[in-house]
Amino acid sequence: MSSGVLFTEMPDMERRLGRVVKVVIIGGGWAGCAAAITARKAGAEVTVLEKTDLLLGLGNVGGIMRNNGRYTAAEELKALGAEDLIEITDRVARHKNVHFPGHRHASLYDVTKVEPMVRKKLKELGVNIRLETRAVDVEKEGSALKRIVLADEKVIEGDVFIEATGSTGPMGNCLRYGNGCCMCILRCPSYGPRISISQRAGVEDLLGQRGDELYGAFSGSCKLAKHSLGSEIVEQLDKEGVVVVPVPVEDVNLKKLDYKVCQQYALKEYAENLVLLDTGYVKLMTSYYPLEKLRRIPGFEHARYDDPYSGGKGNSIRYLSMAPRNNALKVLGLDNLFCAGEKAGLFVGHTEAMSTGSLAGHNSVRHCLGMPLLELPRMTAIGDLIAYANEMINRPDGLKNRYTFSGGKYFTHMQEKDLYTTDVEAIQERINRVGLGRIFAEKFL
Amino acid sequence: MNRSDCIDAGTEYCPCYLAEVGECIMCSQLQGKVFCDCTNWKGVCILQEYVWNHARSKPSRGLFRGQILGAEEVAADVLLLTLQVNRTLARELNQPGAYVFLRPPGTAEYFDIPTSVMRADERLETIVLALQQRGVKTKYLFKQRTEKADQEILLRGPYWNGILGLRHLKGLHHAKALLLLRGIGQAPAVPVAKKLRQGGNEVEVLLDPGRIKNFTTALFQEMGCRVLPKIILDLKKLTLRADVLAYLREKILTDGVKLIYCGGPVFLTQGVSNLLQELRSQVALVCSNNTKLCCGEGVCGSCQTRLKNGTRVKSCKTQIDPWEVYR
Repeated sequence: MSSGVLFTEMPDMERRLGRVVKVVIIGGGWAGCAAAITARKAGAEVTVLEKTDLLLGLGNVGGIMRNNGRYTAAEELKALGAEDLIEITDRVARHKNVHFPGHRHASLYDVTKVEPMVRKKLKELGVNIRLETRAVDVEKEGSALKRIVLADEKVIEGDVFIEATGSTGPMGNCLRYGNGCCMCILRCPSYGPRISISQRAGVEDLLGQRGDELYGAFSGSCKLAKHSLGSEIVEQLDKEGVVVVPVPVEDVNLKKLDYKVCQQYALKEYAENLVLLDTGYVKLMTSYYPLEKLRRIPGFEHARYDDPYSGGKGNSIRYLSMAPRNNALKVLGLDNLFCAGEKAGLFVGHTEAMSTGSLAGHNSVRHCLGMPLLELPRMTAIGDLIAYANEMINRPDGLKNRYTFSGGKYFTHMQEKDLYTTDVEAIQERINRVGLGRIFAEKFL
Repeated sequence: MNRSDCIDAGTEYCPCYLAEVGECIMCSQLQGKVFCDCTNWKGVCILQEYVWNHARSKPSRGLFRGQILGAEEVAADVLLLTLQVNRTLARELNQPGAYVFLRPPGTAEYFDIPTSVMRADERLETIVLALQQRGVKTKYLFKQRTEKADQEILLRGPYWNGILGLRHLKGLHHAKALLLLRGIGQAPAVPVAKKLRQGGNEVEVLLDPGRIKNFTTALFQEMGCRVLPKIILDLKKLTLRADVLAYLREKILTDGVKLIYCGGPVFLTQGVSNLLQELRSQVALVCSNNTKLCCGEGVCGSCQTRLKNGTRVKSCKTQIDPWEVYR
């Protein structure tokens, strides 16, 4: 199917009239929330199943937006009509237009403020949020999902399903492929482990690698309690959002960069320096750092971790659970399962999750109405990233890379294709030119 | 999906030998797979426990010497043993489904008799077990008691999977439950009734003496259960008697019973299951675990049970829903 041309073909009124489309989203992270919003805007009845007591998942400890090509993608989302989450993260930004090694014009949202705002937004839109509700299995008829089975054996019916369970953990994976459970925000011991819904439905997971036959990758940052750091560091963080502190020469460990999820931060500067960002917590841009060593550095004498709690030892392991999918984000081999976020590819970051989530939510409703699914054209950064990641996955080394607007291979590709820009008008013009202005705000039902 | 739970998961005996050989009942990674698929999460990562324990199983249950405080012949061939144990063991055995292996001193391990715990008193550090003389092992124990009058008995435990459908039992509150008991099956039903009464439930007990007699009537009555002596089974047809079936029908359809516990032979549970299916009833079915238990550790294979979906489970420690067997 050619990209983005068939979206105008609407289902006939008769079929739409009085129709109720039930969309069930598994996983309430950034991707799941974004999917909920576009599916709701398209007129569906939307339920989000989230295993913990918080929406946003790792978004509760992230915070970096608009760095490098993410700026372009954020503006594309707004132009496409999925502005809600970008507006929230902009509104709670503690710092805007921050530069740090390898990254320009970042905006850092306050991780302690963002979740209640997203929750409120979803409620206002009429999304049914089911917290502390863990999906453990599916019931199928042929190759169509009919119901999601919950940990308490209750079932949730739906017409179409979106898996946004991410790829992090659970404990056994963090142990086998990392340094064990480090007590991250997902809190598997308390709320139970993530289950791969697509795999339960019979579609085998794809696995990211960090080397030959080495699977998974460490989350790329840990968070320190701000008040545990020296006052000079705190003052500079409050003022500028960024502090860079050299690592003592004997502690520089370049090998650690290979383990990281976030290849955009796997630069030499990040091994030789502690790069700190102010997101409410102090985001330390390294997977983990032994506390004893950290405390030898001036200003860090009293440092302690807030996420993961055992950030001195390790971090969560990710990318062990991707579903094969097409560029409309429908999972291959199943009739009515879409995917978003890390489930949809080796994507890193909130903006990437919001982008894939928005498309999956929108397409889930199209699917139920028998409309052609939307693929975003490669003239857009979002469409290009989604297609690029799918191309790369089939290449020999493709599973060893991560794909993000903010750095690594894809940002280079994005620049080469002239997709990277911070010119907001040009981005709007780009979306309008392909006829997709506010497409994600369109109501079908 | 297999929703079977290991009764030992997360206890001090987990991980066990099964983990060492890739046969863990719960953990996909300890079944030889290389990724988590934790559909039966019980709050503990068994792989983590295993790795932290240097990739070895935890020490298994020990052998205790239980002092015999009392041995009362409550019926012909039925002995009510009161044993002095320690506080920990008494506490661990104070729950429905708890059982131990008993063995007369000086005998080999294959004399181990799996025996349900009828009562356990943490404060007095005692347990009470009812033992019926049936096969070689029990006959030998009775014989040795007559000849030697041992004041001690060997005891291995605690084990917990003596009842199937525990989650129904633990999940029932302020509702009506019906217990169908026959013969020695009345002993393990005492903790069942206790649990149900603690949950504020109304409990009615249909008590069939079987080949022995009703020796638990007073215990059930003390707990506030209504006890009805009744012959439950038609032994010629190996089924429930017609009047009992009619009584059950009424209990299910008009009296609003929410849980039925079967403590008796397999065909008792099968009969109740058939009735529930015929009525398309949602009433929870709970029953005694009647498989042959030999090691209790999932090792010997004597307890292997085939579920209706074709999978085989080690029922000495796999907590299964009776529906998966009696359908």
